[in-house]
Amino acid sequence: MRWMENLSDTQYAYLLLVPVFVLLGIVALYPLLRTFELSLFALSADFSSTNFVGAGNYVGLFTGEKNRFLPGGTTFLPEGFGTGALLNSALVVTIIFAVVSVLFETLIGLGQALILDQDFYGRRWIRAAIIIPWAVPIVIQGMIFFLMFNSNVGFLTPPLADLGLLAPTNTLNDTASATFIIIVADIWKTSAFMALLILAGLQSIDRGLYDVAKVAGATKWQQFKLITFPLILPTIGVAVLFRSVQAMRVYGIIDTVSSCTVVPSLSCMVVATFTTREGTSAAIAFVTAAIIGTVVMGLIVWQGEDAI
Amino acid sequence: MATPTDTQEQSSDGPLQRWTQSAIQNPDKVYRALFYAAMVFFLVTTLFPFYWLIVLAVTPEGNLLSGSFLPTVNLFGVSGTFPLPVPKGFNPGAFVTVFEQVPFHLYMLNSFALAVTTTVIVLFVASLAGYVFGRLRFPGRALLMLGILAISYFPPAAFVIPLFQAFAGNAPITIPFTSIPLFTPPRMLNTPGSMVLPFSALFMPLSIFILTTFYGQIPDGLEDAARVEGTTRLGALFRVIMPLSAPGVATAAVLTFIAVYNEYFFSSIMATSPEAAKWSPIVGGILSYQTQYTTQFNLMAAASIVGVLPVVILVIVAQERIVSGLTSGALKE
Repeated sequence: MRWMENLSDTQYAYLLLVPVFVLLGIVALYPLLRTFELSLFALSADFSSTNFVGAGNYVGLFTGEKNRFLPGGTTFLPEGFGTGALLNSALVVTIIFAVVSVLFETLIGLGQALILDQDFYGRRWIRAAIIIPWAVPIVIQGMIFFLMFNSNVGFLTPPLADLGLLAPTNTLNDTASATFIIIVADIWKTSAFMALLILAGLQSIDRGLYDVAKVAGATKWQQFKLITFPLILPTIGVAVLFRSVQAMRVYGIIDTVSSCTVVPSLSCMVVATFTTREGTSAAIAFVTAAIIGTVVMGLIVWQGEDAI
Repeated sequence: MATPTDTQEQSSDGPLQRWTQSAIQNPDKVYRALFYAAMVFFLVTTLFPFYWLIVLAVTPEGNLLSGSFLPTVNLFGVSGTFPLPVPKGFNPGAFVTVFEQVPFHLYMLNSFALAVTTTVIVLFVASLAGYVFGRLRFPGRALLMLGILAISYFPPAAFVIPLFQAFAGNAPITIPFTSIPLFTPPRMLNTPGSMVLPFSALFMPLSIFILTTFYGQIPDGLEDAARVEGTTRLGALFRVIMPLSAPGVATAAVLTFIAVYNEYFFSSIMATSPEAAKWSPIVGGILSYQTQYTTQFNLMAAASIVGVLPVVILVIVAQERIVSGLTSGALKE
């Protein structure tokens, strides 16, 4: 161990990082490069070999030629602008899921954070209760919503079907209804996460500002509009982008509550095709990664050095 | 949701009117009422699904499909539907049956074993990295942190195809973009390795960022003092800095444990059949109720309650750690 003492700081730093490099190299970097490589090859007509097709798989995805490999009549890009066609498109359904769920999670999370920011008796317990959904395993979250909405015991389906929000029968196999339920399930689970991030922003606000506002005669609403909201806006921005990235990966909740043929998210399509159509599957995986990468680049450019 | 402020117009006299009068003079009272109303609303929406699980779990199997869970109540001659589902009968036997039909305890044990192994690996590797990023200045530091951050943003779907092929162990691993074979990996599907490896890489970045923050806050003097006493460099990390950052280490451990326990994607793909003997974690246990015992909704609910208990206890015990870890770690990320 003597030699370790004589290394320079830089040498020592890189030595200690070797395990990280090995682990991320095996489990992240190698698979990523290999996925890209696979996405450039396609199975030959007689299934015996794979041929280099360059960007062919990507072109096929965007022209709709690859749609025949996707399960359940799913398309990659929408084939029209009706609700059915939009929800049948893997790309659109994933984006709708991400945008709608993150929007509501932000609003509800903001509400929860404003509650948790107050001082009151039993705050600790209320906070634990609000965090619990975040800690529920995805498979159990899925089971909960499966049990609340399935057509045999789900007591929530009839009243919501009366309002026209859900299909009255076969609810979990109806694309629009299942998408709605999955979005609700995600909002239930993840709002608490948003609440905690926003709460951190709230608690960094200088309390003196509110004393000044009170002396100046500002109402609670004015205090929120002129002090709280502008000061937590950067935090909300980071939290929204962070959550959007995670929402784009949605898979488990769909698999448990409904099925990948009913709600075709991008990750679902990768899993459904990867044993039979490697090239197509890898291309979808890489497009997903590219979309997320674009969002993240946006975050880093916008936040600058603070993002790290 | 009926708040006192909603109903104030309907009442003409009595205590409500007095409350309204005083509320007009003192707007803080209205805010207080709104605050409690919102709090109750959030509590009900977050906790109601668990109540529904309990209702289903204690309802005897024969009563599950007959009648409604929303009973009709007759109150002073006015009948209406009670807005809250109640159990149709009471039979807690489902909590025993749930372990008999499927060895659910073995699935949970698998989940625990996977989560603990991953946590130990992550804590060790992330401690080294946290020390480097938090305490050493060297060229390439910012770039490396950015790289680790970038990798943590990629979706698991972008890793799964080559990993599945490698863990299947059928063909040698080649260097990407060439056909030079490196080695043929052993078959690892249905073993802990095929899940622990992806989990470790997936959840390590968050722990690295948490530990970087905590290790960076330990004063240099303490480390120097330990070195003067004759500790090695590595010894200083594991005997001085890590114990002094115990809250940070606990935070990283709790978050990693919960993340692995909750993981779905790799858990469902790398354990190819939902059998406890093949290292399938609770994902497989719960799903086998959904696929094999399709109408025994009371068992599905009971299994979900049993499966969720460990994390609920963990949240109640360690909530301070979770809150500080999520806010410091995730906002950094």
